[in-house]
Amino acid sequence: MSRSLLRTVATPLAAVVFGLLIGAVLILSQNASPITAYSALVVGGLGDADSLLRTLQKATPLIFGGLAVAFAFKAGMFNIGGQGQLLVGAVFAAGVGFGVDGLPMVVHLPAALVAGALAGAVWGGIAGALKATTGAHEVIVTIMLNFVAGNLTDWLSANPWKDNSGNNIVARTPLVEDSATIPTLGAVPVGFVLALVVAAACWFVLERTTYGFEVRSVGHNRNAAQYSGIKVGWIMASTMAVAGMLAGLGGAVESLGVDGRFEAGVNVGLGFEGITIALLARANPLGVIPAALLVGLMEAGASRMQFKAGVAPELIDVIQALILFFVAAPIIIRWVLRMRADNSEQLQLGAGWGRS
Amino acid sequence: MTTRQKQMLYVGATLIVVIAWTFYTADGPQTTAVLAGTVRAATLLVLGAMCGMIGERSGVVNIGIEGQFLLSAFAAFTIASMTGSLFLGTVAGVGMGLIMGWMLAAMAVGLKVDQIIAGTVLNIAALGLTSFFYDRSRSLGMGKYTNIDLGPLADIPLVGTVFFSRPPLTYLTMVLLVVVHVALFRSVWGMRTRAIGEHPGAADTVGIDVLKLRYFNVTIAGGLAGLGGSYLALEAVGTFSRAMSGGRGFLALAVMIFGRRTPFGAYAAALFFGFTTALQNQFQLNSTFDIPPQFVGMLPFVVTIIVVALSGLIGSMRDPAALGQVYEKG
Amino acid sequence: MAPKRRHLLALLMVLGLVTAAACGSDDGGGVSGGYSIGLVTDTGKVDDKSFNQSAWEGAQQGAADIPASATASYIETEESKDYANNIQLFLDDGAKVIVTVGFGLGEATIEAAKANPDVMFIGVDQWQDDALPNLAGLMFPEATAGFMAGALAGMLTETDIVGAVLGTDLVPPVVFFKEGWENGARYTNPDVQTISTYHPGGLDVAFGDPEWGATTARQALDQGADIIFGAGGATGNGALIEVAGEAGALCVGVDSDQWFTVPEAHPCLVTSAMKLIDVGVAELIGQAYAGTMQGGNFFGEVGLAPFHDFDGIVTDEMRATLDDVMAGLADGSINPMPE
Repeated sequence: MSRSLLRTVATPLAAVVFGLLIGAVLILSQNASPITAYSALVVGGLGDADSLLRTLQKATPLIFGGLAVAFAFKAGMFNIGGQGQLLVGAVFAAGVGFGVDGLPMVVHLPAALVAGALAGAVWGGIAGALKATTGAHEVIVTIMLNFVAGNLTDWLSANPWKDNSGNNIVARTPLVEDSATIPTLGAVPVGFVLALVVAAACWFVLERTTYGFEVRSVGHNRNAAQYSGIKVGWIMASTMAVAGMLAGLGGAVESLGVDGRFEAGVNVGLGFEGITIALLARANPLGVIPAALLVGLMEAGASRMQFKAGVAPELIDVIQALILFFVAAPIIIRWVLRMRADNSEQLQLGAGWGRS
Repeated sequence: MTTRQKQMLYVGATLIVVIAWTFYTADGPQTTAVLAGTVRAATLLVLGAMCGMIGERSGVVNIGIEGQFLLSAFAAFTIASMTGSLFLGTVAGVGMGLIMGWMLAAMAVGLKVDQIIAGTVLNIAALGLTSFFYDRSRSLGMGKYTNIDLGPLADIPLVGTVFFSRPPLTYLTMVLLVVVHVALFRSVWGMRTRAIGEHPGAADTVGIDVLKLRYFNVTIAGGLAGLGGSYLALEAVGTFSRAMSGGRGFLALAVMIFGRRTPFGAYAAALFFGFTTALQNQFQLNSTFDIPPQFVGMLPFVVTIIVVALSGLIGSMRDPAALGQVYEKG
Repeated sequence: MAPKRRHLLALLMVLGLVTAAACGSDDGGGVSGGYSIGLVTDTGKVDDKSFNQSAWEGAQQGAADIPASATASYIETEESKDYANNIQLFLDDGAKVIVTVGFGLGEATIEAAKANPDVMFIGVDQWQDDALPNLAGLMFPEATAGFMAGALAGMLTETDIVGAVLGTDLVPPVVFFKEGWENGARYTNPDVQTISTYHPGGLDVAFGDPEWGATTARQALDQGADIIFGAGGATGNGALIEVAGEAGALCVGVDSDQWFTVPEAHPCLVTSAMKLIDVGVAELIGQAYAGTMQGGNFFGEVGLAPFHDFDGIVTDEMRATLDDVMAGLADGSINPMPE
């Protein structure tokens, strides 16, 4: 048991080390010190309670975004639409958060979260429903919906839902009411706890329920699933709706727990990073958690790294790409570490692409 | 293509010509401006789409086109500004595209890395590297590629300006459309390529080296995306800036699928998308509608979703059967 | 395990660590030492050829100008959620002056200024409703700069069509530039037709899409515009470079004198509608050092950049009109943005 656990952890760990080593070469090429840079990175992400809080805050939407991609992967669909789903979730959660007052927290906060989740579900569900009914490729539709969501949420926050307090000129909504704000306990944002619970729930649904079995069957072989009586269209549509809901929840937690409002341009890129997270986690809902924590830590520490060592924060992107590469190509790590091959390790997500 | 589909195509093409001419007689400069903008916006998309198409026809998904555009644009711009030669810059961009294509092949075919991951690695790495090594002091002293009039053809009203007074890489793209079409559907290479995308096992038994051909195709396809990067930096814009590809690599994917993985289909899709983009610009320039730019800006994307859904009802879009799967020699 | 491979691995690791440690000695300490000035960018880079770069140049100039030894350093914000943290990094390091660039940092700057009354803050493009003694909002009348550029364009255009290719209307300074530009053109040329476009995408791409800027500038040229105003970071720069390829057409830059930031635009760049962020930042840093900085709003200078290669086409008559316009704007008899 412990031996197999070690094997599971060894590859990702080695991938991180290799990624950092190559990153160190890049740092040296800029005449900076890798040790100063990396220690600043770690201190910036873990050094004190504030840093830890920021790491957890950064990891939270990444967990949701990663789940949104991973869940769709299980049904053999590629959800590039996490960004759009997250944005509509964020803006509608904020809308309920500031637009309704006088409710007790036990009603208001869940209502705002549900609004975000529903908005995300609708956004993802459009792509799923079109795929199921007309065969429209979910990759095209989700890419297009990302752009539409960006424009829609920008417009909402700049026009009907704009914050008109003082002389505000920023495209943003008013602050959400206290009764819709997700609290923080010490250094732990409650939204992060929610993300952990949702990740566990995704794992349970996929691995332990009939619905999850049907989802995986469709992902494994659509024709066989059809043949065995599974309603493939329904599974595809509902899976995309669930994926959208997960991303939408991520957006809701950002608005209600981190930013306190929706602001145009603030959540940029969060949804796309979900793809990286899901791939790092090999589409495993529980694996999404450590992957998100790792990336969250690096992003939380990046400013301090530039401040202390003068290294541009983009280095983080390069290191992420390297880690992803080494995780996905365990053959290289095995070669260096002389580990024996494990056939179960090779993962195929791309196979999901070619089924329509 | 069935006879019925052919008939619809002819009817559609005739309609487009009639409508374009009507608008041209009503307002020449604006119609010309919109259609020229259409061709321009379509060029990059169709180059990316052809890159994706050759990969997918051989069974390899390439979602790294965005990264290939960006890093190639960076290479093209850097070399062009260092040497003062647009041609050398273009070659460098294509070269970088080939290298990235080779890297994708090495990962996806050689190391059997999941193809989606391989593409994502390229995207993130390109974004990070180009930002990290960006040097603001570089510029193109000699300017970017300029229009070349094709003799008397360029004097034809409307069509002349739109198609025959273009910069060189746009002409090259049009030539490549024909080349890729002929290669894919009329050559032995094309037949083999489609075979390894549909039935790699069967192709193997008749003596095609599946892995070698996939390696070759994905690398060559990278050259097309590399040309796209050169086009972006040296012909469309004339400089490099961070993240300047702006999601067009992903739009190229959509264009490729929408165009049913054929060069002319993709070009039609790219022109359609370019047209909606130019049209929404024109609506703003003329203040046609008194609605916020955010809504006008949704036009290309909403129309594309509707058209994709409708065309899905008319005829199914089928992916190559072995797409995305690692091939293990039996 | 084959011993050879293991050795290779060990060698690699040691090599990496040694090279790392060799350079680990010079412990970068941020802005420590002397009178330290920190600058936090908006989500952008200090080499963006636009307002972040201009502010950074101002901070460096400010550090050079003050009599004591002073250092300036910056942090580039990656995500707007990090504004407060990035300011805090400078505070923890004992910075004396902190410059924050862009209205997006407005709230974070006010909070930091309230919590740290001994540190001087300069907020570029940040309007102050309630003056804090240690926070100066550096504001610019963009509409005035746009109006002057438009007034010149109205006189220079031969087709009576002037175009503008802009970032997004979500960013108010861009809107002010545009309205000022159009009104200025109409002021000197009542027959002029103004055709303007905002980037149709979101805030995230609106300033980083030179391809759209170039294509759109071409679309405006093709329908007769002969002067194009490019205002919107890299997007606007794309428009300028496109116009440079059109013989006889002119272009107008924005923010700083773009003759120096976009050399590709030399063939068309007649002037730029400038807001002198660098001058304003440097001046405020000097005041902060001398202890004379006043809280509240500080209005920086705007104006037209030199005409450089196009000095010859701006006639004396035009210059006289420009002088009148400038005087009118200064004494309030001309309103660059009516309504």
